[in-house]
Amino acid sequence: MGEMQADSGGARQGAQRWLRLYGTFAGFVAMVGIFALMRPGIFLSPNNLRNITEQVAILAIVATTMTVVMVVGDFDLSVGAMASLSGVVVADLLIQGLGVWPGVAVALLVGGIGGLFNGVLVAYFGLSAFVATLATMTAFRGLALFYTNGSTLFSGIPESFKLFGQGVTLALPNSVWIMAAVWGVTWFVLEQTTLGRRLYAVGGNAQASYLAGLNVRGLRLAAFVLSGVGAALAGVVMTSRLFSAHPTAGEPLMLNSIAAVFLGMTMFREGEPHVLGTLVGVLLLGGMSNGLNILQVNSYLQLVLTGLIILLAVLLSGLARRGE
Amino acid sequence: MSLFTERMGEVSVVEGMQPLVSLQRLRKRYPGVLAVDDVSLDLYAGEVHGLVGENGAGKSTLIKLLAGATTSDGGSIWVRGRQVHLRTVREANRLGLAFIHQELNLVPYFDAVENIFLGHLYPRHWWGGVDWAALRRRVRAVLDPLGVTLPLTVPVSRLSPGQQTLVSIARALVDKVDLLVMDEPTAALTSQEIEHLFGVVRALRARGVGVLYISHRLAEIFALTERITVMRNGRVVTTQPSSQVSEQRLVQWMTGRTVEALYPPRTPPTALPLLDVRRLSGSFCREISFTLHAGEVLGIAGLIGAGRSELLRLIFGAERVRGGELLLYEKGVPRGLCLRSPAQAYRAGVALAPEERRTQGLLLARPIYENTTLTFLRRFAWGGWWVRRRSELAATQRLGERLALRSRSLRQPVSELSGGNQQKVVLARALAGEVKVLLLDEPTRGVDVGARQEIYRIIGDLKAQGVGVLLVSSDLSELLGVADRLVVLREGRQVATLAAGEASAERVLGYCFGVQPAVPHPTRSQGGGDAGR
Repeated sequence: MGEMQADSGGARQGAQRWLRLYGTFAGFVAMVGIFALMRPGIFLSPNNLRNITEQVAILAIVATTMTVVMVVGDFDLSVGAMASLSGVVVADLLIQGLGVWPGVAVALLVGGIGGLFNGVLVAYFGLSAFVATLATMTAFRGLALFYTNGSTLFSGIPESFKLFGQGVTLALPNSVWIMAAVWGVTWFVLEQTTLGRRLYAVGGNAQASYLAGLNVRGLRLAAFVLSGVGAALAGVVMTSRLFSAHPTAGEPLMLNSIAAVFLGMTMFREGEPHVLGTLVGVLLLGGMSNGLNILQVNSYLQLVLTGLIILLAVLLSGLARRGE
Repeated sequence: MSLFTERMGEVSVVEGMQPLVSLQRLRKRYPGVLAVDDVSLDLYAGEVHGLVGENGAGKSTLIKLLAGATTSDGGSIWVRGRQVHLRTVREANRLGLAFIHQELNLVPYFDAVENIFLGHLYPRHWWGGVDWAALRRRVRAVLDPLGVTLPLTVPVSRLSPGQQTLVSIARALVDKVDLLVMDEPTAALTSQEIEHLFGVVRALRARGVGVLYISHRLAEIFALTERITVMRNGRVVTTQPSSQVSEQRLVQWMTGRTVEALYPPRTPPTALPLLDVRRLSGSFCREISFTLHAGEVLGIAGLIGAGRSELLRLIFGAERVRGGELLLYEKGVPRGLCLRSPAQAYRAGVALAPEERRTQGLLLARPIYENTTLTFLRRFAWGGWWVRRRSELAATQRLGERLALRSRSLRQPVSELSGGNQQKVVLARALAGEVKVLLLDEPTRGVDVGARQEIYRIIGDLKAQGVGVLLVSSDLSELLGVADRLVVLREGRQVATLAAGEASAERVLGYCFGVQPAVPHPTRSQGGGDAGR
């Protein structure tokens, strides 16, 4: 980024900077290379690549909107429970005979209201994001379980609902198109609009932003609403893909989406969340789990490996920072 | 005068001695800047050596090199005639070098004894428990020779800033120290505490300890040091015996130019009222009233905690108004103003440059142009929402030229700028819209002489354009040099309103402390003097 090269003794510093900026990305490339070598013709086959994108699409939607919340310096623990809740809401409404589009709209509305609730608690009542979203996560999970009485909804969902998670347009699954749209819009908002610039400002220094005349509370609220809607959308796609709705199906999305954003943050000099980094993080996590499945690694052990990868990425970027 | 000749004698003796620490042709490059460039410096036992320079002159980097906190790109460091390679602060300490930083790094809940012994082995009883009595004895053995008495058993957070500085000095002295490096040790101290500190430094010198003393306060440098080294742009300009340098020469060396009058000539304000503050009250301020005119600089004096910043924040809408009213004049017609947020204030033409630029003013990791356009971002966007970087950059370029902002690029993060240039970014943001009333809270704190002069020039320009300025400052000579009138606050109340002609440092201080001077001194203002501070 227009930095001058240090003349001597800069080789080590240069290596550290490179590691910090591109370490996560290099790790991603290395992972692809390793899996491709170990299972030639399988991991990189068009079929499997489509598999991976389909598998990560739902996580990518949640992680992208999670990025917005993390840009303003908060995070949202309730996204997994919200995805489950919206999933059972849309399934139940469709089973009761509501049209597909109105059903989806109601599910997204539920997400928006949930996000609004989170945002009000954090921005206007001054609760910490951790406490507020931990509480709402529990409440949303409870609602989903109460709504379904703990059972899985599947019989009676109309075939037309398969559109979101299983339909294919132009050789790509619709879920991937939805993900691409969410990602594209979020990228545009965060990088190119006044709203995005202000969101980054609030995350960088909330007090200075307030004194510069920004509506800090409103901006934090907006980020939570976006995250709620994103989680709800993910829940809809998930229900359509599984063609059934389980009241805890969305649970793993919460930790994975936060991990993806963290992985992405290691890629940028300022250490700020960025949708591009988040996408790499999602692909890293998704590719990892897909590759390990192909290698038939024990699924419990997969969790251990994924945890270690996240630690390694964050450590490397942190170490490089200290070395500067 | 006898003291003077004695000192001169010492200096000449010192010249023949082996230096305690010798820095030879040190170089340190950071991305984009040569922070330390070919610096050689000899420090002797029993000598207090002053190091001065503007912010960004390379003093801090030089100290980091000496402390082993960073490594040099060239040159060498010699301690007692032997070349050393310092890689950690601990290594530097082992060689007898100790450092007192601006931030004292004390553990607030520990008492003085524990803070002083932090990182050292505690004396123990035979059964392994800490021998507190022996510990206290050893701490006293450090403190007594210096003539220091401290409350030893209360948490240091309850000690005064001066006492805390003494605690950190004592910590440095637990081990044998040959060279003590002090970086702005008096920044937070009262004049009495400074005197005490000076006594300690002189006691150390008498014991043969060498001291490298860094300060922006030139009066202290002259009072304490035998020799002075001036740095500018990473290089040593000169090293001189303190007794042979005048303050004016020193400032010239530091800034690299001759300093004309620090304060621009005062232009008289218009009689056009701009802002009426009527019996304004907040949670602390009570019933403040004044009128600010177009082209007027109204200074707000008072001690820290007198309510000066709160007054600005009340006017700015950042704090809740509990009584009174604000009237803003539009073409001579007063309009009631009820500001509930900074956003409304900016829309009404009221702008604030806050006190703490790093925590309240800037997005440090973000580029300059994003900082300047933040408030009025909509103006730099199609349809008010699609940001046009090119117009942002153009506007920032214009503001930057107007304020003499120096940077490599407008895309540079503001964290890389010097204090003075950071302050200019804060000002640029405040001036990005149509400003009628500008609220300045300590605009020159931590800013070097050159940038300070430019900030006064900017205030003068704004005055000429008919902007009204409310200036809060702890620097009394600045208030007397720039302001047309002064409002003095004490404990949230307005205790005096003085025209520039009737304000003297003595009188204003008298009002600040609540002591009326016996005989009022109608001294003329002291514009132009006191260039060093």
